[in-house]
Amino acid sequence: MTTSTAPRSRWRASAAAGPWLGPALALILAVVIFPAAYMVWVSTREISGFGVDRGGAGLENYRRLLRFEAIGQVLTNTVVWVVGVVLLTVFISLGLAQFLDKAFPGRQLVRLAVIVPWAASVVMTSTVFVYGLDPFYGIINRFLVDLHVLSEPYGFTQRPVSAFLVSMGIAVFVSLPFTTYTLLAGLQAIPGDVLEAAQVDGAGPAAAYRRVVLPMLRPALAVATIINIINVFNSLPILRTVTGSLPGYDADTTTTLTFKFIQADRQIGTASALSVVNFVLVLTVIAVYLRVVRPMRED
Amino acid sequence: MRTTLRLAAVVTVSALAVTGCGFGGQGSSSSGDDAAQAGTTTLDLLVPSYSDATKANWEKVISGFQAQNRDVKVNLEVQSWDNINDVVRTKVQSNKAPDILNIDAFSGFAKDGLLYKATDVASPQTISDFQDSFKQNASIGSDMMAFPFIASTRALFYNKDLLEKAGVSAPPKTWDELLAAAKKVNALGGGVYGYGMPLGNEEAQAETSLWTFGNGGSWSDGDKITVTTPQNLEAVEYMQRMVQEKATQPNPGASDRTPMLNVFIQGKIAMAAGLPPILAQIKDKNPSLNLGTAPIPTKDGSPVTLGVADHLMAFQKDGSKKAAITKFVDYFFSKDVYSAWVAAEGFLPTTKSGAEQASSKPELKDFLTSLPTAKFYPSSNEAWSATQGALQSQIGQIAQGKSPKSVLDAVQAKADAAS
Repeated sequence: MTTSTAPRSRWRASAAAGPWLGPALALILAVVIFPAAYMVWVSTREISGFGVDRGGAGLENYRRLLRFEAIGQVLTNTVVWVVGVVLLTVFISLGLAQFLDKAFPGRQLVRLAVIVPWAASVVMTSTVFVYGLDPFYGIINRFLVDLHVLSEPYGFTQRPVSAFLVSMGIAVFVSLPFTTYTLLAGLQAIPGDVLEAAQVDGAGPAAAYRRVVLPMLRPALAVATIINIINVFNSLPILRTVTGSLPGYDADTTTTLTFKFIQADRQIGTASALSVVNFVLVLTVIAVYLRVVRPMRED
Repeated sequence: MRTTLRLAAVVTVSALAVTGCGFGGQGSSSSGDDAAQAGTTTLDLLVPSYSDATKANWEKVISGFQAQNRDVKVNLEVQSWDNINDVVRTKVQSNKAPDILNIDAFSGFAKDGLLYKATDVASPQTISDFQDSFKQNASIGSDMMAFPFIASTRALFYNKDLLEKAGVSAPPKTWDELLAAAKKVNALGGGVYGYGMPLGNEEAQAETSLWTFGNGGSWSDGDKITVTTPQNLEAVEYMQRMVQEKATQPNPGASDRTPMLNVFIQGKIAMAAGLPPILAQIKDKNPSLNLGTAPIPTKDGSPVTLGVADHLMAFQKDGSKKAAITKFVDYFFSKDVYSAWVAAEGFLPTTKSGAEQASSKPELKDFLTSLPTAKFYPSSNEAWSATQGALQSQIGQIAQGKSPKSVLDAVQAKADAAS
């Protein structure tokens, strides 16, 4: 009896929820599914450099992408970029969150200060660093020379490797606030008595952190990591601002390469194909992450 | 809390519904409708920003035009050079092309069949006033497809004080003289450099063209894009020699033009290729700079320079606005309106009547006299846009030690892919 009514009542419950789910579904359809499908469609078209659709191209755009000479370098860069920035960000944020969780005089002010890079526009922050590091009039370069760290100003943003590292530094800097606050919220949700119990059972600070705090932080860590992976993977403004004037593809990720295809080469089809690849890549990375780390598992 | 959430969901969805309508459609401007009611035509004018004053300069033109033509309304949209290509592309893709566009290259639009012939949307007087070289540069085959809008040529800007300090008595005329003079300045030390070579993304194709044109090279054989000619290769090899023998500023491969010229204006670079609007910037930012101008040095000293012409073009769309466009074009290129606009932006005019008026300005003399020796980009070739993009994003690699031949081969490959 119960087994036969259960599906129907579940269906009825879903139907009743319809009006409330509807807006969310419409939203997802309009801002996620439709643009994604349109992107896939464009990636199979031959589009002139000036925006006119000249008909179907089959998989030619994807083939051209595979033939692209620097694709290996760019994919390597993308891995270094995402893994490096996300790991560093999460690692530093764990420390910062722990620090901000302690009560100390002036904590409010320090917490506010951590938000600042978040509140400032990313382009602005990157531009500040670019000017600061300029070899001719950059204040950071000047400072390093005055301190005799450098014998003469160095073009940090004018060489591919150093410019890429600078960009990664900026990306970590602007990702810290969100990550720190997510982890801080997670920390504050850990009840004090659990920690006390661990202490009573004889766990030292290190063991308590590893065995009690970290496992309880898992949901917060998962949110912080996934959102950071997506953000960092798709991040354009930092690399555009810092490495935009560099020749060649030594400091490009798949995202900035998409823009070079559009703006320099006028290959809208290839750019769309790369976007599709980008989209699939980021979905795969997240699926693997969810599978391996199982952050949503509830113990 | 719940109610707020529901409310938020409803608001978001309705907002989406509203913006969703704009995707690919005619947009919400519906200029045609209310214009038709009032018996007027609305022209969308899309222009790039040449300077901070560009918007005001255009507004002056438009108000003057509307005062004479009450049945035409002009909507002005100003975009930065960084964005305008993307903006146009998006508009064309979604059938919202502007009626009149001011941009550098016109041939892609023309080949896609989007443009009016210039002779269809301007009076014969207006057409006959353009200088012939520019008219030719704006034509595909025998059809003039765009209006030459403004022009600029390059000259060698030099810092007299720095050259004197380095013991160079006269500005260099040949590459060898340039190399020698620049090395002397670099040898002074203390953060001053001989030659500013901007090979960053911003305008690397201009600097490269000055060198290749200076060696008798060309980017086109009239039909195909030709990047890998012996003349071009020799010129690019000499550019690399300038870098390797330390005659330039550090990291020329990643130096954009604007920041490099700012350093020149600050007096830390002795020589660089400059264009007319920079004169006004120097007057404004560092009037004490002891500036000289000279022809661009070439391999054997024979005069040649890079000329750049931007264009004005009219989109056909449904063909209903031909009369209004003609009125606007004729008004804009009339002697006084046009001369005032060009003078305000500090460029060179493309019309005969404009050139007469500009020749009274002594500071423009060097540039006007170099106009006859100017060579242009092959912008009527539809593959030029991609070639230019490839030059911008690749040529700087020669300053990082990559072989000139392999870089030019890569650029040629992009050009071939686009044609």
